[in-house]
Amino acid sequence: MANIVSVENVRASYGGTVALDGVSLEIEEGSSFALLGPNGAGKTTLMNILCTLRAPQDGRVLVAGHDVVRAPRLARRSIGVVFQTSSLDDRLTARENLNFHGLVHGLAPKRRRFHIERVLELVGLQDWQDEIVRTFSGGMRRRLEIARALMHEPRILFLDEPTVGLDAQTRQQIWEYLDQLRTERKITILTTTHYIEEVEDADVVCIIDRGKIIAQGSPEALKAEHGRRWVQADVTHAEARKAILAQFPEARPLGARSIVAPAESIEADYLQTEPFKDKLTEIRYREPTLESVFLSLTGRDLRDRTDGEREAQMAEGRRGGRR
Amino acid sequence: MSRRPRHPWLRPAANIGLIAVLLIALSFLPPDNSLAEVQENGVLKLCVPESYPPLVQADEDSPGFDVELAGLIAQEIGVRLVVNVMPSIGRDFNPRNWRLTRGQCNIIAGGVADTVQTQGFLQTLPTLAETGWVGISLDGSLPARGSSWAVWPGTSGLDRLALSRWLRENDVKARLVSSPTELRALLDRGEIDGAITERFAASATGIDNGKYQVFWLPPESFERFRMALGLWKGDQTLYRAVRAALKKLDYKVKNIGSEYGLVYNFRVTSEQLAAKNFTCGLALTT
Amino acid sequence: MNEAIGAVRGVYGVWLREITRATRDRGQMIGGVSRPIIWLLILGVGLNPYFRGEVYGQVAYVVPYTYLQFLFPAVIVLNIMYTSIQFAVSMIWDREFGFLREVLVSPMPRSLILLGKVLGGATVATTHGGLVLLLARFADVTLSFGEMAAALGFMFLLAFGLTSFGIILAARVRSFEGFGVFSNTLILPLYFASSSIFPLDPSLTRTQAVTSYPEWLVFLTRANPMTYAVDALRGILIDFNQFPTVLGPAIVLGMAVIFFVIALIDFNRT
Repeated sequence: MANIVSVENVRASYGGTVALDGVSLEIEEGSSFALLGPNGAGKTTLMNILCTLRAPQDGRVLVAGHDVVRAPRLARRSIGVVFQTSSLDDRLTARENLNFHGLVHGLAPKRRRFHIERVLELVGLQDWQDEIVRTFSGGMRRRLEIARALMHEPRILFLDEPTVGLDAQTRQQIWEYLDQLRTERKITILTTTHYIEEVEDADVVCIIDRGKIIAQGSPEALKAEHGRRWVQADVTHAEARKAILAQFPEARPLGARSIVAPAESIEADYLQTEPFKDKLTEIRYREPTLESVFLSLTGRDLRDRTDGEREAQMAEGRRGGRR
Repeated sequence: MSRRPRHPWLRPAANIGLIAVLLIALSFLPPDNSLAEVQENGVLKLCVPESYPPLVQADEDSPGFDVELAGLIAQEIGVRLVVNVMPSIGRDFNPRNWRLTRGQCNIIAGGVADTVQTQGFLQTLPTLAETGWVGISLDGSLPARGSSWAVWPGTSGLDRLALSRWLRENDVKARLVSSPTELRALLDRGEIDGAITERFAASATGIDNGKYQVFWLPPESFERFRMALGLWKGDQTLYRAVRAALKKLDYKVKNIGSEYGLVYNFRVTSEQLAAKNFTCGLALTT
Repeated sequence: MNEAIGAVRGVYGVWLREITRATRDRGQMIGGVSRPIIWLLILGVGLNPYFRGEVYGQVAYVVPYTYLQFLFPAVIVLNIMYTSIQFAVSMIWDREFGFLREVLVSPMPRSLILLGKVLGGATVATTHGGLVLLLARFADVTLSFGEMAAALGFMFLLAFGLTSFGIILAARVRSFEGFGVFSNTLILPLYFASSSIFPLDPSLTRTQAVTSYPEWLVFLTRANPMTYAVDALRGILIDFNQFPTVLGPAIVLGMAVIFFVIALIDFNRT
């Protein structure tokens, strides 16, 4: 099958900070592609380049066969975008937001009405269509944004952290819509996320860190290749940490309080004996998941770094909602 | 399925309607109390010069068009008219020296031309009388080149500069006189070929209408102005009341106008003037 | 052809959104109504006796209209100035709360997005200016339908230029609060120095030279483009021009074109 998105050796930087450092990737039409990485890895920068909001400093990006620098307007016709933070007008009603989208995409009145009904039904917001968006919950807003991105029947859907700040139930619901779309409409979906469980179903997962792609493949292939069983020990005592790290060359510190080591290189039982026995608060095995793939590749944990920032984002979202 | 979103627009529309109604209602507030004062005192004060025929005449039976008009207006407003004859009007080129104050006059009439200059000081309500420069001569023809004409500019504020320019361009020898009597004397003695003055000043000279012909100077060189009632600026409520009264009295006013010989149709006259190369005579009194 | 219809729809969409938002913005609407009431009903009536003269031939400023008539066109310009320049807040809002991205990833060219926005802002501002016309009776300004149409057309042109100007400001100001202070310190001086509430320019009429103001103030008034906008609107509404008749519309048209082009250059850079 043809590649609907093709990124070749893209570089971008903000001021002096390099955000993307020679990124290349291909996305097959009709596939579900997940971009996984901690915040600050360059996911959003790449997303902005893909949806033509930002030009790359170097490299070439084709979206639906159109160069995003030379023919951005053609590229935009084929894409639907759901941004990380809300881009709804919360003084308009749901319907007015959708109608606006239809108008700026040049849809005729009849098609506009048809597609408004269609997407409202898809996300189950028919009963709320004439309500002002300001009164909507975070989940409703997200659903409306997804509905809006689908209104002009794009070939590719870009979703930047589509479920950030939502409760588990709403997240589940949103992924159900997206799966339904993929099977029914053969739409290509590109998602960025740092929720590991959300990328397990993707066709291709691409792990990005510090502006570089460090691994790419199906979740199974990635797990098979990089996934290892890890032992994680939470040690509060600094002396004990030093001692363990000295004893096991493959062990490495994780955050301020933990130590991880490949399961085969360390004897968990040994840690439970003197002199460590009382210094450990917890020992656990981490099965091969995409999270441990990330850990294997970077030596850092995906989740620890992001939790704080996510909360900040949620707070920002609330602030935005009040206006 | 196709539920039309009606209610989101309903409220803004109602808001805008409400605002419009509020503003229009506010626009009916009186901006001052000039009318209220007149009604309270029961008196409308009219200031006029001693004589400015036929607008103001020293004759009890026919006191002049402007005075009768003001009487009707006072009646319409429901107050008594008091005519204050101000001999100072017209004595000086500078109206400031006429010493007309808001205390003495509600309306100034009898020689107020509706010019931009007048509007600088007063709000004007044009009446049907019209003024402009007129020529007086035996045969009613325009001054010939090299001829000698007497000029009395009058007091109603017509453009003297334009007149003197025109006289120079047409190579007419102008002789400035200081009163209507002098003008008439010069004419009667035949010392001059004709005279130029303001329209109502011409009727004040008391010339023999059978002997002389009076005619407008060419309209493409000289603007003509309506005569007007002058009200103080900012006396909006009184101004509106007088304006409304004039509109209502239109028919009666025309009748009075024709009694004073003001309602000949000057439009027809100016067409005739055009046809006859501006030399057609014009009767100012019947 | 399809491209053109799509473009028109897009501009209409952006325009419609601005109109919809304006009708839901009660604060803005209240401002649009209270300003003419304050300026015309209170200030106008309050100062009226000081401008009317008590002795024939003796007034401080000699112009062929009453003070309320003189003030009336200026109040319209003030209302348009406020609404147009405050429109920048909508631009900052879009930028800060992310809505701008939704428009930028649509296939509409940026010039048309900006055009739609400016047309929307100008329509709202013209409406606010038009509200003042409802008070014409109060100020004894009589209007024919032709004059009304000419006035509205001119007001729209002015609003278009000022809205573009607001957008230029928005590109340079970061916060809402900052903009509020900024716009007030900008709008009121522009308004006061435009021969709006006092005839500040001795060239107003020949006799006006009697009351002369210091040279620097006259210079400010002459340099202020709003002076010519007020003058042109006076020409339409009360038939009085202190400057050549073509000057006002020419300056306002120039403002509309130049400010829109600058706003477009700014907008293409974002």
